[in-house]
Amino acid sequence: MSRKILLIEDEAAMSEAIKLRLEANGFTVIAAFDGQEGLTKARQEKPDLIILDVMLPKMDGFVVCRMLKFDEKYARIPIIMLTARTQSKDIEQGKEMGADAYMTKPFKSEELLKKIRELLGS
Amino acid sequence: MNLLEEQKLIFHDIRHKIGWSVNIRYVIALLGLGLFSFAMFYGLTVISATLFLIAGLAGYNFLIHLIYLFSQRFKLWQLVFLRSAAETIDVLAITIFIYITGGLDSPYWFLYLVLLVISGFGVYSLASLSVFIIAIFSALFYLGLLTLTYYRILPSYGLVVNLTPQQLLELILNRAVFVTVAFFLFSTTIFYFSKLVNQHRKELMKKNEELLGALEKVKETDRLKDEFVATASHELRTPLSVVRENISLIEDGVVSLDGPKGKDFLTVARGNIDRLASIIDNLLDISKIESRSLVLKRQTTDLTQIAAKAIELLKHKAEEKQIKLEANFSRQPLANWVDADQILRLFINLIDNAIKYSDPGGEVIVGLEISGGNIIGSVKDKGIGIAESDRLKIFDRFIRVENEKTNAVRGTGLGLSICRGIVELHGGRIWVESAVSQGAKFIFSLPRVEG
Repeated sequence: MSRKILLIEDEAAMSEAIKLRLEANGFTVIAAFDGQEGLTKARQEKPDLIILDVMLPKMDGFVVCRMLKFDEKYARIPIIMLTARTQSKDIEQGKEMGADAYMTKPFKSEELLKKIRELLGS
Repeated sequence: MNLLEEQKLIFHDIRHKIGWSVNIRYVIALLGLGLFSFAMFYGLTVISATLFLIAGLAGYNFLIHLIYLFSQRFKLWQLVFLRSAAETIDVLAITIFIYITGGLDSPYWFLYLVLLVISGFGVYSLASLSVFIIAIFSALFYLGLLTLTYYRILPSYGLVVNLTPQQLLELILNRAVFVTVAFFLFSTTIFYFSKLVNQHRKELMKKNEELLGALEKVKETDRLKDEFVATASHELRTPLSVVRENISLIEDGVVSLDGPKGKDFLTVARGNIDRLASIIDNLLDISKIESRSLVLKRQTTDLTQIAAKAIELLKHKAEEKQIKLEANFSRQPLANWVDADQILRLFINLIDNAIKYSDPGGEVIVGLEISGGNIIGSVKDKGIGIAESDRLKIFDRFIRVENEKTNAVRGTGLGLSICRGIVELHGGRIWVESAVSQGAKFIFSLPRVEG
């Protein structure tokens, strides 16, 4: 059974590209385009991993991260924050909110895949 | 400086002064004692009469010293009270010294001077006035002592003993006048100097505060600059990552270049490169505008021509989206002294926005009119509108209203901030009238300047 990844990213082109890349590597991808939708889908679909942007409409990525990580039902789902915010205070905040990894854009797809496999333990 | 800090400063100032006066009193008491021993040695009885006063002063000073040592525990008003009491006692004691040792000839005038100096030089006490309070106080007390002498209640120190009442009165009056004048003369001198010093000190403090304010401003500017760099970096990274990922998908063969998707991915990549280029252009402009290094090339320009040119340039884009783009102004020339390129840019930005945020079938109306001393330009659409809470901040750089309707529209969040910059450089202002889903009307006013 292929692993399910929830991709929360508002930039349609970015979302499409990452989705194709992940699917080509055998993952199932569910896309969400704003924070609220992402949170709802995370709760409904219980994905194996979440890739989360920070600057999202409706709900900030940090908030989504915290709401999931502070809820014991979803706390064990690994979260990779993938964002163009590169300042150390943002990275710090991401870690405080419980993100398992913080990657900055532009990213290397092989590094993203490596991180995903690492977090999924496969 | 807030009230609490000021109170603390006052507290420490007073405490510091008490400490200083304690030390000075010890020195004076020691000097007095030395003087007395010297007098005893030579059998001079007039000076020896002050022995008890000196001893009393030392004892009383010891008391003040104790107060100083424990003053950390007092409240401010208690400290102020104690200090006032100590000063009053000082004034009384010195006046008595001066009285006993014969008025104007008294060596104790220097004590009086010391007292004035102690009380006169301070930032927080009513320094300049306190010396006069002391003068009034000593004068009244001295006159009181003289009155008691006149009625023979006090012995007449330093006065010749066998005098007729008439002669005694004359002498007393003489003394009263001279001594009172001396009190006020000294006070005025100290008042003058303390005022000079205090004024200087106040100026220094004011300068200090100004410097601190300037430092805060620099820090704030620095913070804004950091924020700008961070946001700019974010804005550049986003399209860059799309370009990178799209190319690498084709490179890795995930997306085939021959299939229909391959071309889409290239188109998206190119679109994002265009976006990057436009962000960079805008960034350069905005930094020029904000650092005020953009120099307007003003010339007498017909604004109706500029508006018409902007409409002409965007006509095609409007037609593509089936939007009616209309000019709602007379063709009568409207000359103003402006930078034609920048005003064209202003119109293009506003009209382009209006088209972007309008649904197909909508309309955009460009207006231009004279109102008093101003020229009012406007761009009105029937698009998605702007909520009241967003109406001010949309003019800030990188601010884009985010909702499902605006997400479909590409933008850098710099256009309106450039518009505001252009209008403000021309000495005008820009604002928006709107309600959600009622369309928006961007209005700017430029002062009429004849070239």
